[in-house]
Amino acid sequence: MQSEIIIETRNLTKVYRDFWGRQKVRALKALDLEVRRGEIFGLLGPNGSGKTTTIKLLLGLLFPTTGQALVFDRDAREVTKNERIGYLPEESYLYRFLNAEETLDFYGRLFNMSRAVRRQRVADLIEMVGLDWAKRRQLKEYSKGMTRRIGLAQALINDPELIVLDEPTTGLDPIGTREMKDLIIKLRDEGKTVLLCSHLLADVQDVCDRIAILYQGELKEMGRVDSLLKVQDVTEIRVAGLSAIGQEEVKQAIERNNGHVLNIGNPTTTLEDLFLKIIRESEEHPGRRVRGVGEKT
Amino acid sequence: MVIDITDVTPLFTWLLGPEWTEGRLFHPLSLTVFLLLLIAGLLWLVVRLRKGHGSTGRGAAMAIGGGSAAAIVLVALGIIAWKLLLLGKAEEIAWTLPLANFAEGLRNSCFKGLQWLLGSGWHQGALYCWFLVIISAAAAVFVVGGLAAALRRGPIKALETSGRAIGDCALDVVRISPRRVGALAWLAVKESIRRRVVVVFAVFILILLFAGWYLDPGNIDPARLYLNFVLTTTGYLVILLVLFLSSLSLPADIKSRTLHTIVTKPVRSSEVVLGRIAGFTAVATCLLLIMGVISYFFVERGLAHTHEIDADSLKTVEYAVGRPTGRQGVTTLVHEHRHKVVVDPSGNGRVEIEQGHRHELEGDWKELLSKESAGKKYQLGRPEGMLLARVPVYGKLAYRDRKGEPTDKGINVGDEWTYRSYIEGGSLAAAVWTFQGITEERFSDGLPVDMTLGIFRTHKGDIEKGVTGSLLLRNPRAGADVKPTEVQIFESKEFQIDNRLIPREVRTPDGKKVDLFKEFVSDGEVEIWLRCVDMAQYFGVAQADMYLRAHNAPFAWNFAKGYFGIWLLGLLVIALGVLFSTFLSAPVAVLATFGALLGGLFHDFMFRLATHQTYGGGPLESFVRILTQQNVTSEMEPGLRTTLVQTLDQPAKFGLWLLAAVLPDLSRFNVFSKCVAYGFNIPGDTILTYTCRTFAFVLPLFVAAYLCLKNREVAR
Repeated sequence: MQSEIIIETRNLTKVYRDFWGRQKVRALKALDLEVRRGEIFGLLGPNGSGKTTTIKLLLGLLFPTTGQALVFDRDAREVTKNERIGYLPEESYLYRFLNAEETLDFYGRLFNMSRAVRRQRVADLIEMVGLDWAKRRQLKEYSKGMTRRIGLAQALINDPELIVLDEPTTGLDPIGTREMKDLIIKLRDEGKTVLLCSHLLADVQDVCDRIAILYQGELKEMGRVDSLLKVQDVTEIRVAGLSAIGQEEVKQAIERNNGHVLNIGNPTTTLEDLFLKIIRESEEHPGRRVRGVGEKT
Repeated sequence: MVIDITDVTPLFTWLLGPEWTEGRLFHPLSLTVFLLLLIAGLLWLVVRLRKGHGSTGRGAAMAIGGGSAAAIVLVALGIIAWKLLLLGKAEEIAWTLPLANFAEGLRNSCFKGLQWLLGSGWHQGALYCWFLVIISAAAAVFVVGGLAAALRRGPIKALETSGRAIGDCALDVVRISPRRVGALAWLAVKESIRRRVVVVFAVFILILLFAGWYLDPGNIDPARLYLNFVLTTTGYLVILLVLFLSSLSLPADIKSRTLHTIVTKPVRSSEVVLGRIAGFTAVATCLLLIMGVISYFFVERGLAHTHEIDADSLKTVEYAVGRPTGRQGVTTLVHEHRHKVVVDPSGNGRVEIEQGHRHELEGDWKELLSKESAGKKYQLGRPEGMLLARVPVYGKLAYRDRKGEPTDKGINVGDEWTYRSYIEGGSLAAAVWTFQGITEERFSDGLPVDMTLGIFRTHKGDIEKGVTGSLLLRNPRAGADVKPTEVQIFESKEFQIDNRLIPREVRTPDGKKVDLFKEFVSDGEVEIWLRCVDMAQYFGVAQADMYLRAHNAPFAWNFAKGYFGIWLLGLLVIALGVLFSTFLSAPVAVLATFGALLGGLFHDFMFRLATHQTYGGGPLESFVRILTQQNVTSEMEPGLRTTLVQTLDQPAKFGLWLLAAVLPDLSRFNVFSKCVAYGFNIPGDTILTYTCRTFAFVLPLFVAAYLCLKNREVAR
């Protein structure tokens, strides 16, 4: 039976030292963490909080000063664990003199995949990230968004069980961001485990099942997103098509039950939703668009 | 120490022999079977390990760590005991004899000429020394690493860590995936192309295009000049290119973080290192192949020329009054030289050697003696003897003094270079070469002798003419009172190889014609004596100055071997560059590789400096000498200053000695280009020796690079 714990850190500490061995900075302090199979786990924190250091320790790019980092029950420095991992770094560190096909084929060879399997997988992934039209162009000609997409494709080349995403939406436009978030959820639905770190709180909130908040190398909070964000002493009722009289009656009923109305009004959508709606409409009806209520006011 | 157990059972006697060394067990056949079984066992283990997954387990790590520590302690105790108890007096330990016999058998049976590799005893060959160095280095690393781990984590944990390190290292080497190495090598090739390797081609072609400006066609040996030029140019360009490629690649990948996406795949550090080495070697191979082909045609076309003989310009020569006459003259001037042409009265003509080559007439020499030749011009063929790969048979040189008595060496004429020793002209002084392996099958036409003589004149004489010498033959098995027979008188040629043929049919002083092989060769041995005929003139000779040319090997093949020498050097530089790039930043790695290259090229000097074989002392003493304007050969004044300076020099000298001991002697690799340029075939065992030497360094360099990369945090 496969273990339900995919990632585990025990008292994981990382101290950066200078050339003479003197302590420069304690980037991570005794981190205890568990990531379970099939969940999207987010590492949150401001710059310098130790998110990327944690990821690098889990991938064996850095070695722990003390403590232990286990991935699939194996030490993080062990190479064979990487067969089941896909990693998208903060910036897509890819060879800019290769084209998309060569890039994916190269990484496929690193997974010891046969030529036939590689060819099929490369074609599927290029189609998935929508770069079919640019697959023969060198990566140095790619925009930042395109580079992120091919970076994601290389992270998925081995159909990994664990996907590690470092700031996955950086450099993406709102459409790309939404597609990335949809893809992360899709991967989770396929049974894969996703570990992502980001400082874009909205992105994390949208996709993560559980999060850990780091600050100055220390774990400050960890738990399910919905339970962490739940405001216990406020009740929210969302109603569609309620008249002004109806609103007044609801208000009175609340006050009768010792409740205190904080706000009654029309909710606003997110800017991301508005943007995507306009883009979708523009694609369906090309030409000048009749502007909505926002401009009139 | 020999334990006699033969009384216990006759089986032991049969197996081990009375002295533990001569039994059936030590028969070469038994040892070969044992060796094959060992190899088969190792192969089986490798296959098993390749199929496995994961790293070294705790139990295995403890076993490996404990076993290694025990082995090191036992060996150390054994050495101490041997040194202390036997005081180093035991010349041979009984158990080494079977191995020595085995090595002897191997050498004599199928691997002739492997003396340097296997040694005269099993423990005197290069292979044994190499194993000893590698195992000692590995043991030193194990001890230092183990002690450091023991201080931090305690002895038990240290044993486990050290054992795991050894186990993982073995697994990382055994489980290397050819596909991954291929992918990484392909990447290195692509990267090299991106780094504009073609620029090197452009520079090479540019140099060749303008070669006419600085290559003097009137040189005394234009073939050597051209060959030296192309081999040196190619060598420098390729070595510099691979130096930069190999030492810049990994640091660039670490800086741009592209390595992050590689090491987060199931790629082992050994594969990253091997991929780089293989990739850059492939680039160097392609470059050398293309440059070699271009260079070959450049040399061939550059040296190709022909001359004409203007029949009217030939003078008639009368050898004897009333007898038919011959003709003599020179060819037209091409490539700043002319050849002397001689046609004897019987119609046999020849073109004299000039600039190391001669030509053949495209026609009949006899026509030049007839009246029909008047007003005609005769075309000569392509140059012959210019691009050669001579296969020499060297002899052993001995000297005779002016009274004809054996002596250790000839006369010192005051030449600073003591390579040659001189024999006096007009006396019985002689240089005697004894050649072996002389058979009729090998030299059916006679003995082709090639000579390069040094000339020392005590008077000007006829400066236009060479000094006269004579070649004599003597049977080495003849009695000491038998004098050598003069077979040829010749006029010396300076600064070039003089080719002479001692024909099979030799005329003795009493006028009898005898067969060379029947009269002078015994058991494949013959003595050739060289004497200087002119009074008060001297011939300078060294052992390699005379050899018999067995035959000529194909020049193109020899040229390719010359390029193989550059390839070997390139491989060493690549391995050094990749090693330094695993733990140094780009500019420092380039400097370190360049330093290692320079150190390798000046290896001999460095070693002499470190072992007090040069004048002037160490760096500090030399500096003091410069400041005080003191001669390097004079002793420093005894005193506190001298003692202080010389003491402070000791660490520097030790550092130099260490460097000289670690670095390969790269200067020796020029034997390849020298052989090609001087027109000698590169022997197979030279190629084998240098190939082994190269891989003997590349292998530990690869392991060191792998360990450095494995223990490096690539994300820092």
